[in-house]
Amino acid sequence: MTFLYSVIQWLLDPKQWSGPSGIPTRVLEHVTISGEAVLIGALIALPLGIVLGHYGRFGNIAISVSNVGRAVPSFGILIIAFQIWSLGDLPIILALTALAIPPIVTNSFVAMTEVDKDIKDAARGMGYRDLVQLLRVELPLAVPLVMAGIRTSAVQVVATATLAAYIGGGGLGRFIVDGYATQVYPEVFAGAILVGLLALATELSLSGVERLLTPRGIRLLRVPADRRATAFKTA
Amino acid sequence: MAAALFLQGLEQPWIIWDWLFTHVQLFIDAIEQHLLLTVIAVGSGMVISLPVGIAAHRYMWLRNPVLTVFGILYTIPSLALFSILVPFTGFTILTAEIGLVAYTVLILVRNILVGLEAVPADVLDAADGMGYRRTARLLRVELPLALPSIFAGLRIATVTTIGLITITAVIGQVSLGQLIYRGLIEGFRTPLLVATLLSIVLALFADLTLAGAQRLATPWSRSG
Amino acid sequence: MNRKLSSGRLVAALMAVVFAAVACGSTSTPASTSKGTVTVAGFNFPESSILAEIYGQALAKDGYTVNYKLLLGTREVLSPAIKAGQVDLYPGYAASDLEFYNNKAGEATGDATATTSKLNSHLQSIGLVALTPSPAVDQNAFAVTKATAQKYSLTKLSDLAPIASQLVLGAGPECPSRPYCQPGLESVYGLHFKAFKPLDTDGPATRAAFASGAIDVGLVFSSDGDLNARGLVVLQDDKHLEAADNIVPILRQATASNEVKRVLNAISAKLTTSDLVTMNSQVSLNHQDADAVATAWLQAHNYSN
Repeated sequence: MTFLYSVIQWLLDPKQWSGPSGIPTRVLEHVTISGEAVLIGALIALPLGIVLGHYGRFGNIAISVSNVGRAVPSFGILIIAFQIWSLGDLPIILALTALAIPPIVTNSFVAMTEVDKDIKDAARGMGYRDLVQLLRVELPLAVPLVMAGIRTSAVQVVATATLAAYIGGGGLGRFIVDGYATQVYPEVFAGAILVGLLALATELSLSGVERLLTPRGIRLLRVPADRRATAFKTA
Repeated sequence: MAAALFLQGLEQPWIIWDWLFTHVQLFIDAIEQHLLLTVIAVGSGMVISLPVGIAAHRYMWLRNPVLTVFGILYTIPSLALFSILVPFTGFTILTAEIGLVAYTVLILVRNILVGLEAVPADVLDAADGMGYRRTARLLRVELPLALPSIFAGLRIATVTTIGLITITAVIGQVSLGQLIYRGLIEGFRTPLLVATLLSIVLALFADLTLAGAQRLATPWSRSG
Repeated sequence: MNRKLSSGRLVAALMAVVFAAVACGSTSTPASTSKGTVTVAGFNFPESSILAEIYGQALAKDGYTVNYKLLLGTREVLSPAIKAGQVDLYPGYAASDLEFYNNKAGEATGDATATTSKLNSHLQSIGLVALTPSPAVDQNAFAVTKATAQKYSLTKLSDLAPIASQLVLGAGPECPSRPYCQPGLESVYGLHFKAFKPLDTDGPATRAAFASGAIDVGLVFSSDGDLNARGLVVLQDDKHLEAADNIVPILRQATASNEVKRVLNAISAKLTTSDLVTMNSQVSLNHQDADAVATAWLQAHNYSN
């Protein structure tokens, strides 16, 4: 109990809320790096997964991508990135982007292939040309699973970004690494809590985005558990 | 570029083959320890998850609390979880395993639940009609039908664990991660790259092995 | 059908082999004639790995079973571990360890023997003991790039006083709480830097930060062997902030038998600062292993089998 109290004391200390190593700065750093990685990852992965899924091509690769992605140790990738690009945001964002891509590719692919064939036939029968069919019919139906992939990817990037502290990075990982190095456990705990809250906020806000993007007609359909994004934990 | 300055005149090849060939034992030891940690984590995770998953399936009120608690543990970055455990359980395998098992349990419990919930209602009715009592129905009908989902969970849990183990290097745990960590601290690329690659290979090998075991265990899924 | 069955069996057999290998490989039996087990820990920088290996291999040659926990962390991490008995020995630095165990009371001086006996007065009650300090020294040192030194005409730390507020200091995350690091620079030299960048303890991140200009002043160690090759120059400690950071083995009293003390003190006596510099550059520039470098040192000092 006294430990919990010391964590709260640490969090409430005004010194922690100002300056270049304060909580607001670190949260901003963390959000920026994670956000950029997921954004770039999505820009690469979404077209790839959607197009492949629409044409039903290279299914084995698209699905294996997330298996292989899960097999890549994020710690190793970050340090290799440091050896290539030295310090700064660039190596961190590149490494995190590589980790962000697999779940988005796989989920987008599966989302597109699972669009009901009857619906696609009906659309073609109604005269929709290919690109229009894609945009107006298939994508809206694919939204839940695509967003599940982005959500999974984003939450894991937020967690993995903590490791960037080992290659001179900022973000909330600094509290965990610096606190552990100086054995100030309230700091480690506070860092963990903050990252957890950030992950939760990421999950909730992307759920909100999903709800906005899901067409009203299928909003009532709950995505069954076995079609949700599978677990993806890299850090 | 800054990177070029960093390595100015001290350009290091990514693999120093001479060093690699004289240090094979180092990697073998690391892989052994890595596998040991994996087997303990996934094995313990399974031992915990099966009864918990079955209970959460049987008693609906358990489902949400279980998924929530382990779901929260899942969002804690493993670095933080391992670091926080050190003052309690020291620099031991136990510290690493408590963290790793917490993560495997969520994956496994979720997949066990999904698998059990996917058993069609008419199959359950048929089993009841044939006179199966609850335990027998669970063991002889529901669990076997849930096997594909359980195996899927096992594969994900195993691959995930192999990746997470590398992070335990920062709390002094021996594994492929320690060679990666040494690559960080000494700025030595060979162990860094080779250990990272070996970790990927190990994970893919484990995934393939479990996929094969799944084919063995669910012969009915092979046809069609 | 048969072909599928046999590939499935092959996979199952592979799994069995893997499990068997793991089970066999994970048992380690200490030699039946072992004098006891000693776990040696090292800090998270290469010199500590080298020293831990030197002391550890010497004990092993004397008949002890030695386990290593290298790159374990900072002093703040190692200290609870040795107090709890999870490790038995680590290669310490007299003045820095003294100021750690006396809660920064400022007792350390340039005299290694006096510093060590004060250290022992604090270690006594927590079940630890420091042995005889070695003549080999490794203190904190602060470096700048050659370009920076030329630009501001820097040769010693007090030269930084007028410009410190424009400069960024880089070191490991423990620096802001260490008397021989940032707080010492503030109190002894009046240096208040523009910012502090947490990197690593005298490692590749610090060197990369010098190269990219992310930091202007950085913590290095006085026994580093690669500073010249990396275009770094150490600023002289003209006001004597640093003290007698001689290498000194710190052990649990339970481990400090007369035999162990004899072996370790013999090693410490033969270790010199230039040995440290040589061995450090072998590891950081030539990428040799800490244990190989340690073995070579032991052989050169007549500790071969």
